[in-house]
Amino acid sequence: MTPLVLILAIAVPAAAGLLVLLLPSRRAPWAPAVLAALACAFELALAVYAFPHDFAFAWSWMGFGAEFALKLSRFSAFILLGIATFSFLVTAYSAVSMAKAPSSRRFHAWVLFTVALSAGAVLADNLILFLVFWEGLLLTLFAMIAAGKTRPFATAVKAFVIVGLTDLALMFGVMLTGHLAGTLSMSAIRLPLDGLGAVAFLLLMIGAMGKAGAMPFHSWIPDAAIDAPLPFMALLPGSLEKLLGIYFLARISLDLFVLTPESWVSPVLMGIGAATILLAVLMALVQKDYKKLLAYHAISQVGYMILGIGTALPVGIVGGLFHMVNNAIYKSSLFLSAGAVEKETGTTDLHELGGLGRSMPITTVCFLIAAASISGVPPFNGFFSKELVYDGALERGWIFYAIALAGSFFTAASFLKLGHAAFFGKQTDAKRTVKEAPWPMLLPMIVLAGLCIVFGVANSLPLERLIQPVLGTAMEGAHGGTFAGFPTNMMLVGLTAGVLALAVANHAFGVHRTGKGIGAVDHIHHAPGLSSVYKLQATGALDPYRMLGGVVGMASKGLYALDRAIDWVYSGLAAQSALAASWVLRKAHNGNVNRYVLWALAGAAAVVLAVLAVVGGGR
Amino acid sequence: MSALLLLVPFVAVVLLYLLPKRARAAGLWIAFGILALEAAAAVLDRFATIDVGLLAPLEKLLGFHLTTDGLSGLLILCTGLVGMAALLVARRTLESVNERFLFANLVLVAVVGINGIAMVRDLFSLYIFVEVTAVATFILIAAGRGDHVFEGAWKYIFLSVVASVLMLTSLGFFLLSTDGITLDAARTGLAANAPLAWIAMALFLCGLFVKGAMVPFHGWLADAYTAAPAPVSVFMAGIVTKASGIFALLRIAQSTLGGATPGREILLVVGAVTIVVGAFLALTQTNFKRMLAYSSISQMGYIVLALGGDLHLGILAAGLHFFNHAISKSQLFANAAAIERQLGTLDMDEMGGLGARMPVTAGTTAVASLSIAGLPPLAGFWSKLLIVLALWNAKEYAFAAVAILASLVTLAYFLSLQRKVFFGKPVDKWSGAREASAGLLVPAVALALITIALGVGFPFALRILLGGGA
Repeated sequence: MTPLVLILAIAVPAAAGLLVLLLPSRRAPWAPAVLAALACAFELALAVYAFPHDFAFAWSWMGFGAEFALKLSRFSAFILLGIATFSFLVTAYSAVSMAKAPSSRRFHAWVLFTVALSAGAVLADNLILFLVFWEGLLLTLFAMIAAGKTRPFATAVKAFVIVGLTDLALMFGVMLTGHLAGTLSMSAIRLPLDGLGAVAFLLLMIGAMGKAGAMPFHSWIPDAAIDAPLPFMALLPGSLEKLLGIYFLARISLDLFVLTPESWVSPVLMGIGAATILLAVLMALVQKDYKKLLAYHAISQVGYMILGIGTALPVGIVGGLFHMVNNAIYKSSLFLSAGAVEKETGTTDLHELGGLGRSMPITTVCFLIAAASISGVPPFNGFFSKELVYDGALERGWIFYAIALAGSFFTAASFLKLGHAAFFGKQTDAKRTVKEAPWPMLLPMIVLAGLCIVFGVANSLPLERLIQPVLGTAMEGAHGGTFAGFPTNMMLVGLTAGVLALAVANHAFGVHRTGKGIGAVDHIHHAPGLSSVYKLQATGALDPYRMLGGVVGMASKGLYALDRAIDWVYSGLAAQSALAASWVLRKAHNGNVNRYVLWALAGAAAVVLAVLAVVGGGR
Repeated sequence: MSALLLLVPFVAVVLLYLLPKRARAAGLWIAFGILALEAAAAVLDRFATIDVGLLAPLEKLLGFHLTTDGLSGLLILCTGLVGMAALLVARRTLESVNERFLFANLVLVAVVGINGIAMVRDLFSLYIFVEVTAVATFILIAAGRGDHVFEGAWKYIFLSVVASVLMLTSLGFFLLSTDGITLDAARTGLAANAPLAWIAMALFLCGLFVKGAMVPFHGWLADAYTAAPAPVSVFMAGIVTKASGIFALLRIAQSTLGGATPGREILLVVGAVTIVVGAFLALTQTNFKRMLAYSSISQMGYIVLALGGDLHLGILAAGLHFFNHAISKSQLFANAAAIERQLGTLDMDEMGGLGARMPVTAGTTAVASLSIAGLPPLAGFWSKLLIVLALWNAKEYAFAAVAILASLVTLAYFLSLQRKVFFGKPVDKWSGAREASAGLLVPAVALALITIALGVGFPFALRILLGGGA
């Protein structure tokens, strides 16, 4: 039974995915969605059943250290639970929102494969096996973006290139780690962070960050937000990728390597985290599209997690992991609310939205809870995890704390703007007939919003049951053994409250200035200095992918000449001489049997002579 | 040992002629059943237990010693699989009941010869069974309807006569120089470094080089394969040439040469020359079957080259490549039959864009070609890898390099085949072409699945092979 549970967690969604592809599409258009939801429900049941256990399973696979080894630890059980929960909620939701889409069958199949591969990546206890599952996710990501509607192929390629490059770094990292540790078994590796070890760590870190979507590996996410189906956004960039990326980052920081506050890697991580928070949130602030705004926040929030883990202090790590859970909850709830709005109004452009609060009250309430949560308003879950991260950041350096706090200000400001523009204010005439979204779409949103409250008010539940066990012995002696309950550092709470108040004031000022909710942050957008940065961003000049494209373009021109030369050697010289040889040999085969017999006899004579030369010469 | 493997097909041939004329259609299925039993026996490795005590006197009567080991099992398994595929192809491509009946009969006769080759342990019996196989094959080729069947059969007979002369002379020399013509006796003779024994060995090897179409003894093969009717070329390319030439070489390398100089060097040089010349000959062919024929020559060169490498690894690698090539090449000839049946031609210059019309055939052809070219994770990759390793271990670096570089030419001609036949713009002329019937697809798909399964599961298969002491 033991290994069976682990294998089922991978095999069942994979098999369901295959089944979805094989189903006749005409007969039962609803079947893929139902099957996907059922398989995810089963996955959830498995995750709950397996949660308290410590299962391990190993099967020698390729020989050279690449075992098919699965292991369920405290940490992976908790991530598996998250994966199962979010995929179940999203498939339940997409059963309605994607039901009529022509690509529903493919979409659900890819969702199921994604779930299977994610479960595999989390359960894998061997670096090679982990890599196999991880790379598989790259393919499903590509396929799911490509399954979207309008012009998604370019976006899919962009995601593929960015994530593919980071995966390449990961691959090198795995090789180097295996070389240094002398084993590929993840639970047996424990390397110090010095010299080559630090290089290996950084390579693995790039892989993890690429998956989590931290800067500078983020730029495909906002593009995908426009082009890809919304359930996809809620599932992958919204929750699963964050879970996986941060899971792996935490694994390498806590298990595979010994990350200490003294190591130079720690400030690097914190720097990336802080930069991601601030830069992405500044981009989010000025977006005029519901989905795109959320997408930039999906990037920005990763910064908090990386910052928290980068502190290498128990309080920061617990905060980072807790923030990962919370972010997955409120971010998918927000993406789902965007999906509901898009389904009912047909647009996500904030210029055309407004006053939806009256026609879509439940969606509005869910949005408000999730938005308050992401902005860090007590008593919702986001507040508690952010306070923990702040606590860790402040201990390591005030600059990190200051940046994180500034990030909070902009987060709150942008959600005030978004909420005001979409759900309040004047209702546009054309949208009079808007109804509330159907129940299967509302239920996941309500569940997630409920979780925002539960994980906030009763934060000891996730902290003590799920997250703190991950740290194991490191928790002892710190903070009386638990971080649950209301934050103890009142100065931090006070500053947070102050920043939130400032955001409200800023909003009021902006609305007063322009008279519209959507214009609430225009004064920041057009502030001297910032406006030119925003202009550059709008043209794509700040997109690392574009920059890479520019460099690659130059390099490719230079290499083209070299390539032609080499190409000539192959297709010109080599191919021509091969063809010439072939031609000469063909001419020799004129079908004359006498000639063939002669060859055979001459060959026999040559062989006999050769033998005689050797044997006779030996005498 | 198991005289049953000789008796059952032989008796079946006799019994088939006792069938009433009306029931002759069943002949093909009877042959199919016998081959299936053979393959099953090889897989289950039950040769030792199916022997009944009663057969011992018979064996004495026949006057030669038969033994089975891992290598015999390999050949018998290949014979079963390829024979079944050939019979299925015959069912769809030979027009009349009589032709099919004749085909099944001759296949059984050839199977008697091949099973004999698998089990004998002396050079004279080896020669006899090689001839039995050859005679059945001459008739198989000549019984076809095409214009060139006579030419193909004629060249095969002519070169076979050369081989017979070489081998008979060799046997005479052996009798003069060693005490007996069993493989072990020959080994002792060679170990004494008697020149006459080595001349005898060289002549026998040359005879087998003709049978196995090593360059420069290969003249007959392309015409014979191309002229032969579709099921015959499946059977010949899949097993006949390999059994009577290559397997006999394998057996001699294993039991008699044992890595001795200069036998090893001869195998290396002949193998390498064959690989290169065969591959370059294949490169510019325009006839589908002819390209496959030259590719066969080149690939059999790989098997012989492996025999010149590290002894144990070399035999293992050669055996595996033997199996892989038997499976993939008979499958490619089955695909050729499917295409010829749809288009009525095998000229690749006239084809194009058939991939859209015959997706299954295109897919299985790709699997077999890529496997032969040695692309992971297909079965052919592993056997080529082992061949290179065997050469490397024996410090034959130059020959290892030849093996690797020639793979590129292999890939080149198979890609050109794919491009000419299946890719490109669909040619209007073939707008009526459809996917081959299920009867032709079944063998192709089954063999392609074996290639994929063996490739993917190779690490396990290797463990079994090594664990089984093959």
